[in-house]
Amino acid sequence: MKSEYINSFYKATKDVLRLLVDIEPQRGDLKVVNCFASNKDANVELGVKGDLKGKILFSFPQNMTLEMVKIMSGMEMDKIDNFASSALGEIANIIGGNALTLLSEYNYTCDIDPPQIYIGNYESASALNEKALQMPLVTPIGEFDITIFLKE
Amino acid sequence: MMWKEKYKIGIDSIDRQHEELFGHVSNFTQTIRNEENWEAKLDKVKETMAFMKDYVITHFSEEEAYQEKINYPYLEEHREAHDKFKEAVNDYVKIFEENGFTEDKIQEFGGKLMTWLIMHVGNMDQKIGEYVKSKGGQS
Repeated sequence: MKSEYINSFYKATKDVLRLLVDIEPQRGDLKVVNCFASNKDANVELGVKGDLKGKILFSFPQNMTLEMVKIMSGMEMDKIDNFASSALGEIANIIGGNALTLLSEYNYTCDIDPPQIYIGNYESASALNEKALQMPLVTPIGEFDITIFLKE
Repeated sequence: MMWKEKYKIGIDSIDRQHEELFGHVSNFTQTIRNEENWEAKLDKVKETMAFMKDYVITHFSEEEAYQEKINYPYLEEHREAHDKFKEAVNDYVKIFEENGFTEDKIQEFGGKLMTWLIMHVGNMDQKIGEYVKSKGGQS
């Protein structure tokens, strides 16, 4: 997988989280993964179509999800309900959209499907024939992952 | 409160409207999230929804008129973003009219509305302020 895919998602994530929740994620070591799965509490899947095809998975722990929604709304959150999961889906959607704008600078024209939100463990229904890359991101309010599976 | 000083764009008339808009969205969020029985607060939810729908349209129109006045070069792009925002709000209004103001759907709408608004004002609208600044100050 090309580095511009990873870099575009990293930059978009950094910019969006800085603006929305005042945090600056730091990138951890990339991991190659064989399956599209997560044991984190809140997962958002974005399908990608166009010049690049595949999917992106954002995986957040519960406390971090609640803290992000609290920072945005100024209100205490004690569970990932429809309000929190919808906000989280929209954050991922905005990051995805911005990442695709960055990828268009490399002449890739793509589109994303509406976010699919999964609360609880996530395992993709369709198996991956190829490997995906998982990028851990460390922030002062928790650690989350973005798993990227894209091909031309 | 949702409003933060960093969302200001440096143009008083627009900042005042943004702060007011954030205030309304914040009140809406508090209303839909308080512990009160859903049926009991339904009238307030409907009333706030109707008000916000109108307020968003008024604010967007005024913001676009301001951009025209200052010959803002990204007006079309900005108008498109406003149109998408309005379309998304109207899609939800349609869902509520057809299927009722269910708590789950309103909560879903509330989470999205908050995120859209912060992102739009905190990102796209900032560029209007930067443009005005580059031209030598407030217009």
